[in-house]
Amino acid sequence: MRRAIALLIVLAAAPIRAAAPGELAGELDAAGLRQTLAREKGRVVLLNFWATWCVPCREEFPELSKLQRKHGPAGLRVIGVSTDFAKQKAAVRTFLSRQRPAFPNYRKKGGGDDQDFIEAVDSSWGGELPFSVLYDRSGRKVRVFSGALPVAGVESEVRKLLESR
Amino acid sequence: MRALRSGLLFAVFSALAATAIAQAPAIGAAAPDFQLTTLDGKAFSLSSAAKAHKAVVVMFISTQCPYSNAYNDQMKDLANAYASKGVLFVGINSNKTEDAAAAVAHAKAHGHTFPIMKDPNNKVADLYDARHTPEVYVVDPEGKLRYHGRITADHEDPASSPDLKNALDSYLAGKPVARAETKAFGCSIKRV
Repeated sequence: MRRAIALLIVLAAAPIRAAAPGELAGELDAAGLRQTLAREKGRVVLLNFWATWCVPCREEFPELSKLQRKHGPAGLRVIGVSTDFAKQKAAVRTFLSRQRPAFPNYRKKGGGDDQDFIEAVDSSWGGELPFSVLYDRSGRKVRVFSGALPVAGVESEVRKLLESR
Repeated sequence: MRALRSGLLFAVFSALAATAIAQAPAIGAAAPDFQLTTLDGKAFSLSSAAKAHKAVVVMFISTQCPYSNAYNDQMKDLANAYASKGVLFVGINSNKTEDAAAAVAHAKAHGHTFPIMKDPNNKVADLYDARHTPEVYVVDPEGKLRYHGRITADHEDPASSPDLKNALDSYLAGKPVARAETKAFGCSIKRV
């Protein structure tokens, strides 16, 4: 019984990361997002917020996969967070199974105050999509991007961050 | 050379983004005046409308954005409920991807009888640094901004904290607005 309880505690505390390609890695609130980012210290992180109905989000999604495949071995981690409504989870799964992104994707947990989540990401964010944040290896926020990503510029910035140890 | 060009473009993009953020009107400051034409062909001036009402609620809306559409009923109900209290609700569609015909059909489908205007070349959205839909601004008769932000606290739950309603009630009662600046998720305004 004690072993079963201990196992349950371990499972509950474990990060939800081992999602199959095309599956959601889990749901995140502001605290969960902070924990997820903290686990990536040592890597350059590009955090991208998207939704299935957001055209510029869909357009840049394959580019994010390309960035991950190209620079992942050097230490880049792209992380996607869908802000689709709870009732659109099926649409999110369909989108991910078609895209098969090379990076983990979470869904923003429903409920609570949107502003708490938005402010936890960046105080300059108004809640618009897409929105992306670039962190260096120490977890320091380097840049935020409102709207479609300027991919070439981001890649050049990622390269610089990967080179600086 | 290509890397240099990318870097320059990146720097320009970042500078432009920073400029746009700096232009947002502050609570208590003058809300930028504007003139547009409503979908039914009438001239609309914010300053004139503000002087004739206790407040004007300027809502940046969309016909296609799920976040904006989640509030269609609340927009209609709030506009009707506050009309008798001297508050005018107006809708502005700044999306280049949604034409006037789509906006007319959308208003009809959702019973939106408040004035709605297309915002050619997103000039009014730029004046306000409006980023997404829905995004709401409350302007008093002196043209000052009293509230900016969302309709409710949780876009997935229309019954969550009614921040716009709370702001209007406080303002109409002559009390300070407790949360005059709020944020919520929305669809980026599709600019030219």
